[in-house]
Amino acid sequence: MASSGNKNINSKLVLLGDSGAGKSSLVLRFVKGQFIEFQESTIGAAFFSQTVAVNDTTVKFEIWDTAGQERYHSLAPMYYRGAAAAVIVYDITNQESFERAKNWVRELQAQGNSNTVMALAGNKADLIDARKVPEEATQTYAQENGLFFMETSAKTATNVNELFYEIAKRLPRLQPAPNPSGMVLVDNQSPSERAASASCCS
Amino acid sequence: MYGGTHGKIDLAIEYQAQIPILRPSIRARRANITVKFQDLYGFTVEGNVDDVNVLNEVREKVREQGRVWWSLEASKGVNWYLQTQSSTTLKFSVLVNGITLKRLIRKGIPPSLRPKVWFSLSGAAKKKSTVPESYYKDLTSAVQDKVTPATKQIDHDLPRTFPGHPWLDTPEGHATLRRVLVGYSFRDSDVGYCQGLNYVAALLLLVMKTEEDAFWMLAVLLEDVLVNDCYTNNLSGCHVEQRVFKDLLTKKCPRIAAHLEAMEFDVSLVCTEWFLCLFSKSLPSETTLRVWDVLFYEGAKALFNVALAIFKMNEEELLMAHHIGDVINIIQRTTHHLFDPDELLTVAFDKIGFMTTTTISKERKKQEPAVLAELDQRLRRLNSVNEDDK
Repeated sequence: MASSGNKNINSKLVLLGDSGAGKSSLVLRFVKGQFIEFQESTIGAAFFSQTVAVNDTTVKFEIWDTAGQERYHSLAPMYYRGAAAAVIVYDITNQESFERAKNWVRELQAQGNSNTVMALAGNKADLIDARKVPEEATQTYAQENGLFFMETSAKTATNVNELFYEIAKRLPRLQPAPNPSGMVLVDNQSPSERAASASCCS
Repeated sequence: MYGGTHGKIDLAIEYQAQIPILRPSIRARRANITVKFQDLYGFTVEGNVDDVNVLNEVREKVREQGRVWWSLEASKGVNWYLQTQSSTTLKFSVLVNGITLKRLIRKGIPPSLRPKVWFSLSGAAKKKSTVPESYYKDLTSAVQDKVTPATKQIDHDLPRTFPGHPWLDTPEGHATLRRVLVGYSFRDSDVGYCQGLNYVAALLLLVMKTEEDAFWMLAVLLEDVLVNDCYTNNLSGCHVEQRVFKDLLTKKCPRIAAHLEAMEFDVSLVCTEWFLCLFSKSLPSETTLRVWDVLFYEGAKALFNVALAIFKMNEEELLMAHHIGDVINIIQRTTHHLFDPDELLTVAFDKIGFMTTTTISKERKKQEPAVLAELDQRLRRLNSVNEDDK
């Protein structure tokens, strides 16, 4: 199926964030190159797919765009379970949406898979005059939490494709294997060796 | 304050008058191109020439159903269907009328009679009769200037509810929908406002004659027809319904259930929206309303029949699918193109097999403790995560 050097991979990606932050708009921009001022509110979640080429690999994102209202939170695990990537979206003109984004980060760190690539997207970057969430502090927050951070605008298309491209690049399956011995079956290693190899990679 | 509703009714009549029988040109037929057109309730739909033809046939069937209903009114008397509900009389004619009515409703209530029939058979009329005449007017005027998290979310969602609809997406449409949703959020503060209700209330407004009647339909739906707590706090009722549905799918469509499970595809990924919006976001409008015809008369079990039918209709194709994306495409392509309500309802009620409300209630009772425990556990885990961080 995958000839040498040419790979196709499927990756589940989930978008999380406050209602009205622009999750659906980001997806619409990325998948169809469109922007609609009043996007229908998402109920449950909507599914989309789009491919990105990174070097010789084609990444097909299977995108779950979730509902933002607080009470839909209880449905979210169904969508982020097993996700290779998560985009947490907030609105740069709305401080509350940033606080909720931080809650999502905490939740994913606690419940999610440690291999999930997490990206933080400060959307509505075109509304610079109404900004409430400073970019620099967010950058620091993102670094501290190991998130990939970008400010985006679904309206003007700024950084939208870039965001998904950067996520694709960071997917573990696209990274060169850091340590081939990591693939060795556990049985072949003594517990002490295992501990050593685990710590050397961290 | 009810001026808006009159305008809406005029508009609704206008649509029906303006809609000519759509005759696709030969060129369109040859090219099999996608055309955009307005359906019976003013929604813009996209479809191919076959879809247009199906819609024309549906219009004709709706007219035919109308004649059947009117002739029954003539022979059995106006409001004959109301007698089927009185529990005190056990007359033979009442039973016969009951059976006739159930069959008739599954074949569809004509749009012109829908407001009246829904209002009485759903229990909305009874609900309204228990409060003073001025209840709705008093409620909406008392709360119109209040600001709550619910009203903020409602205001945010008004332009995002069926955007582009010729009446709903106007200042008048927004204001009317707002009064209904805000009014309800104060009637039941446990529900307040849940996203999804905007679509349900919008469609109710398009059907019912007045916004007040739409409000009472929303009330009866949430308070009596649907499972409890479907829209409250953590949507626990919705979680319960999803589990009941999964069990039913395993029983009624075992091959599909096994296949999807092997793919690790959780059917709730697609079904949650159906149960929260009552299909209004997925099915064409007349098909949705045909589902609601049965919903308001037979109860929430109708939703399970319809959801099962959507899977059942695609059994062979679903069994061939091996990617999540393919499964979703099959389901969505089907739901968006179900312009012929009978195609869906025949499967839902004739092929799925009989399910009683009692069976569903038992299933719900069985699932409820596990759902509540799981939600509670999740909440506690999240709280501890957030506290550790502070």
